[in-house]
Amino acid sequence: MKLKSPRKSLLLFAIFIFFVFLIIGCSSDTSSTEGEEGTDTNTPEEASTPQSGGTITVGSLQEPDTLDVHKTAMSIASVITNHLGGTLLGVNPETNELEPYLAEDYTVSDDGKTLTFKLRQGVTFTDGTPLTAQVFKDTFDRILNPETGATVAAGLVAGIKSTSAPDEQTFVIELEAPSAPFLNSLTSQGYLQPLSMAAIEQFGEDYGRNPVGAGPYKFKEWVTGQSVTLVRNDDFNWPQSSAVNQGKAYPDQMVYKFIPDEQTMLAALDSGSIDVAINVAPKDVQKYRNNPDYYVLEADRQGLGLFLEMNLEDELLADLNVRKAINMAINKDAIIQATINGEGTPSYGPIPSTIFGYDPNVESYGHKLNPEEATSLLESSGYTKNSDGFMEKDGQELAFELSIMGPHNQAAQMIQAMLKDVGINVSIQSLEAGTLMEQVAQGDYQMSLLSYSYSDPDILSMFFHSSQIGGLNHVRLQDPELDALLEKGRTTVEPEERKQVYAQVQENVVENAYWVPIFAEKVFVVVNSRVKDVKMNNVSVEFQDSWVQQ
Amino acid sequence: MKQFILNRILSGILVIFGVSIFSFLLIHFIPGDPVRIMLGINATPEQVERLTHHLGLDKPLLVQYGQYIANLFQGDFGTSLKTGRPVLTEILDRFPETVKLAVFGLLIAVVIGISLGILAARFKDTIIDKLCTVFATLGVSIPSFWLAILLVMVFSVKLAWFPIANGTNFRDLILPACTLGVVASTMIMRLTRNGMVEVLSNDYIRTARAKGLEDRLILFRHALRNVLIPVVTVIGLQLAGLLGGAVIIEQVFNWPGLGTLALGAIMSRDFPLIQGTVLFMGVVYVTINILVDILYSVIDPRVEMGVKEAS
Repeated sequence: MKLKSPRKSLLLFAIFIFFVFLIIGCSSDTSSTEGEEGTDTNTPEEASTPQSGGTITVGSLQEPDTLDVHKTAMSIASVITNHLGGTLLGVNPETNELEPYLAEDYTVSDDGKTLTFKLRQGVTFTDGTPLTAQVFKDTFDRILNPETGATVAAGLVAGIKSTSAPDEQTFVIELEAPSAPFLNSLTSQGYLQPLSMAAIEQFGEDYGRNPVGAGPYKFKEWVTGQSVTLVRNDDFNWPQSSAVNQGKAYPDQMVYKFIPDEQTMLAALDSGSIDVAINVAPKDVQKYRNNPDYYVLEADRQGLGLFLEMNLEDELLADLNVRKAINMAINKDAIIQATINGEGTPSYGPIPSTIFGYDPNVESYGHKLNPEEATSLLESSGYTKNSDGFMEKDGQELAFELSIMGPHNQAAQMIQAMLKDVGINVSIQSLEAGTLMEQVAQGDYQMSLLSYSYSDPDILSMFFHSSQIGGLNHVRLQDPELDALLEKGRTTVEPEERKQVYAQVQENVVENAYWVPIFAEKVFVVVNSRVKDVKMNNVSVEFQDSWVQQ
Repeated sequence: MKQFILNRILSGILVIFGVSIFSFLLIHFIPGDPVRIMLGINATPEQVERLTHHLGLDKPLLVQYGQYIANLFQGDFGTSLKTGRPVLTEILDRFPETVKLAVFGLLIAVVIGISLGILAARFKDTIIDKLCTVFATLGVSIPSFWLAILLVMVFSVKLAWFPIANGTNFRDLILPACTLGVVASTMIMRLTRNGMVEVLSNDYIRTARAKGLEDRLILFRHALRNVLIPVVTVIGLQLAGLLGGAVIIEQVFNWPGLGTLALGAIMSRDFPLIQGTVLFMGVVYVTINILVDILYSVIDPRVEMGVKEAS
């Protein structure tokens, strides 16, 4: 009797597990047949007219630190506050060109230093105060005031000498020097919107949890750890000119829910408690593409998803042939397939096609996969293969340490294998992010893997200008010629001329093989089909035309 | 009795003091420069210097600790680096949610645990007892996060009965509380069952049976009371554990309690907030422990005697 009991328990356990899987199995069967029926149309079928009402709920992996746009450095804060206020200029989502928003028109003086904005009339904050040029001046002054402790916003307005408001509708910005990236930064969503000075005065320290702007929505509540709720601003009729809906927004509410775990976020999307999931990983996107209950928006990210940087102060990497050989040994397509499910494009230059100034010629002159050529380059530098199969010169093996952080582990292992094929011995050092950042900034490394996001080619001066050694100039490059080009790129305002400058920069960087650019990836947003007309451009997700199927 | 309570409180304070040293040292165990980590890759050396100074990280270790303790006594747990709000405000915002989840989870655990325990003891060595044993074995051996994910898959995603990451209403509470409850119930059940089996074989139960008392009366009035003493201790300890924030369960269900707060603080490297939550959880744990000890000594006076003899 006693001997039998463990067996019985085991049997009961097995039956229990069997039932559990039966439940899961049955239900996934039904959902997959539903999927098959509708695969031919993955777009919302009824192209009906927009309806007012309802709530759009967006899931976000991050929760903002504060909704005071001057004090935050978190992109989610700019995304949320973008609903609460507008910017002087907008970006047309189709052409990526500047267009009017809160400024009807603007002029740039001949010396490129004075920008004059003609403001739109009849715009009011949601607390009732009118939007005048003086408010813009006060807002910009608040950012420039060191006591505010502005972070990203301060970076965006760097270079402003002074601002003035000669009359109610005219706002003037004087720059220290002509700056091409500046007009673009005026479009940054959220950060540079005019703020209600009355509200800032009223709430003081608590303004960050009671923001007031002049946008399509007004702030309702922020439940810490859970959500931010915004309600429609019924007075709003001043969207940027490319929006189809030129009046107030359709939904009654926008809710941002904070779900820090990716899998929980997807479960929330599946269970219908959120309508929109932003930043969905490439590996998770496929199942929503084949499901008619959802639609997937995608855009190329502005920046590089992965690149390898090399320290020029290392004596082995100081050899151009070695850097070129490394460039030619790395198979970008294989890394894209393995690490991001093929959802990206190989990069040959330091900026992707989504950033202004990208020169398509890099695709022809950039270094291609060519292990034979890589080997002969190394041989021409005097390297020969030793008995271990690695390249060697004067008894010194061609061996490097590749310093990475956790998420790049898989790519690093592939690179290790690819470089081994041409006789380069790579060992991987996986570091905690903070340690890695410190080491590469100090030049205490040989090779490293990194990614970046930025909207202007001026990012290249952070990576390659000699003044940035100790900062982002991890390759520790000191090239007066390139320095001059980068400075010219920043101050040249005429677009065609500026493009030429950056074409030269890209050629210089690629020819000298300071980096191995690997890929630019896509970003994905998944939307429940009951929410229509959500749009996405390279910079942001747009909800002005969106509405909820009731 | 007073002496006993005083002893417990004093030793509790000692433990909290230890926790405060540990939570203070946390920052210094982190590899790399914490300030650089907090500010990210675009930080200028001036920004790094400013924040280092602001956090007092440029002062000697002992001075830093002294300042830390002095602030604690004034109720100042520091300021969250991320939100700029007082750490104590951040914690007190989340704590009620954790209490809600813990109390409801514990309620489920007690109801399931005690009733199954009695059932198993009453029908000892029958199929019912076996089923209860299987349940207990499963509850102990299944990782709670796995059970949580399973419940989400079945009840949120497939059946869509309970929404996930929806809010903190009663309906949102059910799945996470059940997960916690099921796992916590197993220990209560085993204790109740074994205690009952032992008690039911006692002479006085046999006497009660011989007198022809009702089964129900024997179980609940005569047996259960004597079994409950150790069970109460376990329940108290489990409450303390649950109040410390069921980190994984809160994360899976996106429950805005102390657990997700602590995890978020770790992810965003908000060191003052990490220190604050660790210390707060320590205080909660110790306080509940002291309360349980006192309660225990009230239920069973022998406990107090034991301590007196030992000291």
